[in-house]
Amino acid sequence: MNVTTTEAIGTRSSENGMPLAVQVTGLTKSYSKGPKAVDSISFEVRAGEVFGLLGPNGAGKTTTIKMITTLTRPTAGSIQVFGVDALLLPQEVRQMLGFVPQAISVDGDLTGYENLLIFAKLFFVDPAERSKRIHEALELFGLADRADDLVKHYSGGMMRRLEIAQALVNRPKLLFLDEPSIGLDPHSRMQVIDHIRRLNRDFGTTILITTHDMAEADELCDRLAIMNLGKIAVIGAPRELKKSVGGDVITVAVRGPITDSIPPDLGTIAGRDQGTLKILTVDGERAIPRLTDYLEGEGAVVESVSLSRPTLDDVFMKFAKVSLQDEGSFREARSARRSIARHAR
Amino acid sequence: MNNLQRSVSSALTIAEMEARKIRHDSTELWMRAIQPALWLLIFGTVFSAIRASALQIPSGFTYTQYIAPGVLAQSVLFVAIFYGITIVWERDVGLLTKLLSTPSPRISVVVGKALAAGVRGIFQGIMIFALALIIGVNLRFDPLDVAGVFLVVVLFAMCFAALSMTLASVLKTRDRMMGIGQAITMPLFFASNAIYPVSLMPPFLQEISAYNPLSYVVDALRAMLLTGDYSGLPLDILVLLVTTIVLILCASFLLKKLIE
Repeated sequence: MNVTTTEAIGTRSSENGMPLAVQVTGLTKSYSKGPKAVDSISFEVRAGEVFGLLGPNGAGKTTTIKMITTLTRPTAGSIQVFGVDALLLPQEVRQMLGFVPQAISVDGDLTGYENLLIFAKLFFVDPAERSKRIHEALELFGLADRADDLVKHYSGGMMRRLEIAQALVNRPKLLFLDEPSIGLDPHSRMQVIDHIRRLNRDFGTTILITTHDMAEADELCDRLAIMNLGKIAVIGAPRELKKSVGGDVITVAVRGPITDSIPPDLGTIAGRDQGTLKILTVDGERAIPRLTDYLEGEGAVVESVSLSRPTLDDVFMKFAKVSLQDEGSFREARSARRSIARHAR
Repeated sequence: MNNLQRSVSSALTIAEMEARKIRHDSTELWMRAIQPALWLLIFGTVFSAIRASALQIPSGFTYTQYIAPGVLAQSVLFVAIFYGITIVWERDVGLLTKLLSTPSPRISVVVGKALAAGVRGIFQGIMIFALALIIGVNLRFDPLDVAGVFLVVVLFAMCFAALSMTLASVLKTRDRMMGIGQAITMPLFFASNAIYPVSLMPPFLQEISAYNPLSYVVDALRAMLLTGDYSGLPLDILVLLVTTIVLILCASFLLKKLIE
């Protein structure tokens, strides 16, 4: 599969009449000093999907989100959100959006209920619906019993959940989450991811998420774009992207005669050693049972089988030419924790 | 809802947000009563020892009476000028980004915050009236005058909150805002008719005082609280109104610089 250009994988977007949530063309942001923060990127987010924007620090993810949410004006390019031009009608676009910034942005001096109430008012949520939705959201996000406590007494995970609960009150068509799980403990992180998924599934909210946690992106995103140095290196579904870096490797330990050829639909033999066989294949999980059947049919005894699959990290290494496991993620986690601490005075 | 209704509704919501915070913790409001109390009780009392004619204050009034409107204006100025710090703080904790990502027009954020400063200003007004009653400073308690005083106080608080937010959009950090807050408030105070008549000032200071919005505010407050001479009132309110509108527009235009 050819995946060397940005447009390569999965851009059959509007062919089948699916509406586009976001359409970005030639988007550029440059500051007076330094290189371009975002350098002429183009991508589409389909309605109803979870779209991930991945990349290391300084890749341009946050700047891209700020431009789509109309917080920063692009230097060049165009942005359409559900067909509305974000540069011409920023207020109309903001009415459709929810935004959870990287730093915790709840107001610690208000109660959980009040936080939701104020921002529901600012989004002009129908007053008749407002109170019911707020109570439902607090209930669903497990915050109902703390609704009347000041938010500064909440834990970091609760603050994050409160921010995401806002989306349930305002019902945006498109929700932006900038590093939503950074700085959270594993349990809170799982809860947050679970809630994001529910918003997408139960309310059809289109979600655009930035993260540099590859496992999280793999778990959550229907499609993702990998950004580096202000450009998009590659776009595609996680599965397709992983395939593009080489597919799965099955290692079989066998006793008895080892064949030197297998049917082509099972894959190709990548290595043959004393009692082990390495096979390169597209879909390892499905190939394993048929492969063992075949080998045993040839008179061998299969002793063990192991499967190794490429991760998004491998994809990232291939397309962005850098690893994500740098000190950057540590630094951002620390600043996120500091932001939580600042709210919890 | 049309755009104007939305703007008004959003501004009121943002003011409501502040009012709710004050309700949760009103310590700051009470602390802010200390300084005006000192001015009236100590400064006022000591200077009352000087002959009123030497101070060139209008005859028939004590010095404490004379400075009461000035002290009110000064305490409102202190409340309002630090709104820029609040907004920088809100930028730092991500709240401003969130406010600006709502469909509310930018001007609503500024007007809402300015209104909130007005609400705090009203509390300062109530404190001064209470203090005046307690220490026996005779002020005019005519209902229309009192309403007028609160109106001017709200407008004045909005004016300087907008100035402060404009400065914050340019200066961008809390430390600088602390500095500029100090650098602005005292000169404005001393170059005004708050604690002494303009006629006592050297000519250059009189010149400055003529361009100082605080002088117009004190003049309006003094007319309503003390003298009942409304001749200067229309000009006072016009100057205040125009300054407020200009500064609110400046702040609305510049505010987004804070998050870039």
